[in-house]
Amino acid sequence: MRRREFLKLAATSATGAVLFTGCGSIGNGNPPSEFKIESPVWNPNDLRYGRDAWFATAAPASVGGYGIIVRVFEGRAKKVEGNPDFPINFGRSCAKAQALVQELYHPDRVGAPLRLAGQRGSGQYRAVGWDEALGEVASLIRQAPGSTLLVTEPLNGALGAIVEQFVRATGIQHASLEPDERVVLREAMRRAFGVESFPTLDLANARLLVSFSADFLHTWISPVQFARAYGAFRQGRPAVRGTYYHVGPRLSGTAANADRWLPIRPGAEGLVALSMAQVMLEEGLVEETSAVPFFQALGLTPDQLATDFAPERVAEATGLSAEQIRELARAFAEQRPSIAIAGTSAAASTNGLFNLVAVFALNYLVGSVGSEGGLILNPASPLPDELPANRSGDAYRHWVELAQQIAGGQITTVLVHRANPVYSLPPASGFRDALRGAGSVVSFSSFRDETTMLADLVLPDQTLLEQWGLVVPDPGPGYEVVAVQQPVVNPFVDSRAFGDVLIQLAAQLGQPLPWPNQEEAVRALADALRGLGRGNVTAENPRAYFVTMQAQGGWWDERARAGEARPQAATAPANPEFAGEPGQFPFYLLPFPSDSLGYGEFAHLPWLQGLPEPVSTNVWGTWVEINPRTARDIGVETGDLVRVVTPQGSAELPVYVNPAAMPDVLSVPMGQGHTAFGRYAEGRGVNPLELVAPQVERETGALAWAATRCRLELTGRRMRIARFEGQIPAFQLEEFPIVQVTRPRS
Amino acid sequence: MPRWGMVIDLDRCIGCGACVVACQAENNVPINTEDVYHQRRAIEWIRLERYWEGEYPDIKARYIPVPCMHCQNAPCEPVCPVYATYHTSEGINMQVYNRCIGTRYCSINCQWHVRFFNFWEPKWPDSLKNQLNPNVTVRSRGVMEKCTFCIQRIVKAEHQAKLEGRQLRADEFTTACAQACPTDAIVFGDLDNPESRVARLVSTAVNERGYRLLEDLGTEPSVYYLKKVDLEAPVEEHSSH
Repeated sequence: MRRREFLKLAATSATGAVLFTGCGSIGNGNPPSEFKIESPVWNPNDLRYGRDAWFATAAPASVGGYGIIVRVFEGRAKKVEGNPDFPINFGRSCAKAQALVQELYHPDRVGAPLRLAGQRGSGQYRAVGWDEALGEVASLIRQAPGSTLLVTEPLNGALGAIVEQFVRATGIQHASLEPDERVVLREAMRRAFGVESFPTLDLANARLLVSFSADFLHTWISPVQFARAYGAFRQGRPAVRGTYYHVGPRLSGTAANADRWLPIRPGAEGLVALSMAQVMLEEGLVEETSAVPFFQALGLTPDQLATDFAPERVAEATGLSAEQIRELARAFAEQRPSIAIAGTSAAASTNGLFNLVAVFALNYLVGSVGSEGGLILNPASPLPDELPANRSGDAYRHWVELAQQIAGGQITTVLVHRANPVYSLPPASGFRDALRGAGSVVSFSSFRDETTMLADLVLPDQTLLEQWGLVVPDPGPGYEVVAVQQPVVNPFVDSRAFGDVLIQLAAQLGQPLPWPNQEEAVRALADALRGLGRGNVTAENPRAYFVTMQAQGGWWDERARAGEARPQAATAPANPEFAGEPGQFPFYLLPFPSDSLGYGEFAHLPWLQGLPEPVSTNVWGTWVEINPRTARDIGVETGDLVRVVTPQGSAELPVYVNPAAMPDVLSVPMGQGHTAFGRYAEGRGVNPLELVAPQVERETGALAWAATRCRLELTGRRMRIARFEGQIPAFQLEEFPIVQVTRPRS
Repeated sequence: MPRWGMVIDLDRCIGCGACVVACQAENNVPINTEDVYHQRRAIEWIRLERYWEGEYPDIKARYIPVPCMHCQNAPCEPVCPVYATYHTSEGINMQVYNRCIGTRYCSINCQWHVRFFNFWEPKWPDSLKNQLNPNVTVRSRGVMEKCTFCIQRIVKAEHQAKLEGRQLRADEFTTACAQACPTDAIVFGDLDNPESRVARLVSTAVNERGYRLLEDLGTEPSVYYLKKVDLEAPVEEHSSH
């Protein structure tokens, strides 16, 4: 609603403001409280007309939790930039962080606490007051704390401390949800190196990088941190240009940058790694002593490696030739410092943990663990130890159990903050159906996502740019770093920070937490950091200390690094297993996290929906990528609708003929297929998790979403794919190529 | 007087699209909805193109970010009947929105396809309008729009320098795309200031592996590219630079 229209309405109706309440969502207009911006009395005290103000805060954990600064103009957040001081990104940022302002001003934000006003799932809500909503949640918890489950994303820092204290004080259960490959990666880090946090890469000093399916420049754990180092890896040194090989079943947006791409069968990453190790040891390219931790990590003897994993033995199972494996091994051993990493689909196989451990253990062989130009491990959190720093997400297997407990009535109340299990867990988990029948469901989301649509009560959380926080980014830059989040604008709608809500609930339940609100929890932790007496911030008193830390965007201590790494437990080699008979289902189904939408948590932001996926250039939808020859054989072309059938289900998707697709691999992006989550996300595309059979990683119980086979059925129909390619006539001209290439300086 | 230019290193570019979104955020570019893509009318002042090379399994996908080239001899300028498209004294190819009458001659004459016509009135839900940059005009239906090298940032920095009674310092500000770029592939600055990063690149890396897009048309683009380095690239004959 425009201001003029509002004034007209307000003039004709004595109760103008009533128009804005009761509807729950803010619709197209600004919320009524925002009109007070016209009043000098209500202006934020730092507002200066016509001047920019910049505030330092931090990006969400899912994009790496790095430091950002936000331009605020007359009380409105305008633009996100990277924080130039912050040691993870040094001023750099990504598309997802840029789009945070669209989340703040999203037209479909939940504008007030809501109570279900119809059938569960009907989407009919009416607005209620905060006191009433809080009272109801408190009485739900009071009735049966032991049967109450709180679902969050993995949390650390201030909000992690609040949740931990709340869970302890009230005796409720707590589970955290994150993409399953991260669960596998955390376990791999624990076993291979004995650390609890993700690693970083000293690419700026490395000569060779081999990535096994890890989409490290676009979606894998901390893309901006790695991308910044990648720039220096390629062109930051006068005499050396780093070389990057990619080994994996899909030419991802990251893999497209590789000097060489070696397509392998899904799930064969670990096998290739062991075979490389065999070559390096057989040819005496690495020292015997450096092989000790490698063998420990895999529980193998040198003889077993020599007999079972020679390139000629494993070549066929990997899809590479023996010679290719030998060349890769020689390059890895000779072009040191070299780094090997594995992630994304490598972790989402039934042998995901083995794949990761085998690849990361290669770094032991070439002396790259914790050394210059190598794989740098991160130290534990500098925050006091009772906090759940880097608390891992729970594996898929645990979620299935939780779903059964909800369905069986052992869990009667489910509280959900920010995580969206109904969308992120495959239907085979039974979570959606269980939640539909749960006693009570309370959501603390800022949006009506799929999980919130099943809630009886919605207590809207503030968005990232509106609340206080103190978080440990994971992975850090190789030393201890803590980021401070602060509200850059006043809350745009009638929302409350989740931490504040928990603190208020705890008080109502007679179990007060140590802090009066989320901001004070942040300040208390900041003061704990001051107590350490080290780091980048120096100040005379606590207040000055906090202000300095706030202005710099965080706290870090470059000398606080990880100790020596040592394998903690062995992970035995395993072969990938796939759901579906190869005769009936001839293709591998390979979902992949979307470069712009991630796992779907960014699907509500129009800038990211409209940002082309770099390889296919497709936007606003889901598609299935098929090799050109395969497409010709079965008689389909780009835009034809096909039915992708797996043992689990089927979905109709438009074909995108991808010249780089492997002949027997069909790739489908994740992120779409939302049935709720605002106007920009709802009702487009397909969530490939609905096609994925409930295969689990054998040791961690994480969902192996890349372990399903499929077949194609033709529908005879077509569909236009929205995409960037073809918007402008762009061709590589023979005489004047658009992208020119040159050989490296010899 | 500065002469603005840009160097884009294709060996650093990873195709992440941070520049594309940063530009939309800074310059009030309308939302590219699905319908807009179907109509082939997406507006991206800087875009990411992808080119295939070879066949599976020896195949490569290559990225190139393409903003306006800000040609010194720009073919889009002389064809504008109302002088809406003109050249600033600082070397920027500029569009005066309220002069534009939408003949689209400029866009026809641009070989790089970096000029965009507003076929529709740009629309945002009212709440999203809170994000719009107050320093940048929202273009209405019927006018062309294009990359301005973030003219609002240039004007602001120049104004600030004037207030402080000093010369503009090298690299004291940059464009939205260059600021966001995580790999530092995009470098913007004053080509005439030998201390600026862009001028240093032009005198070093550009000599070695620089080229300009469709350079042979003779339009003198202000945007230089550094060639993608490839271990398997064919041995090249020395091209004209």
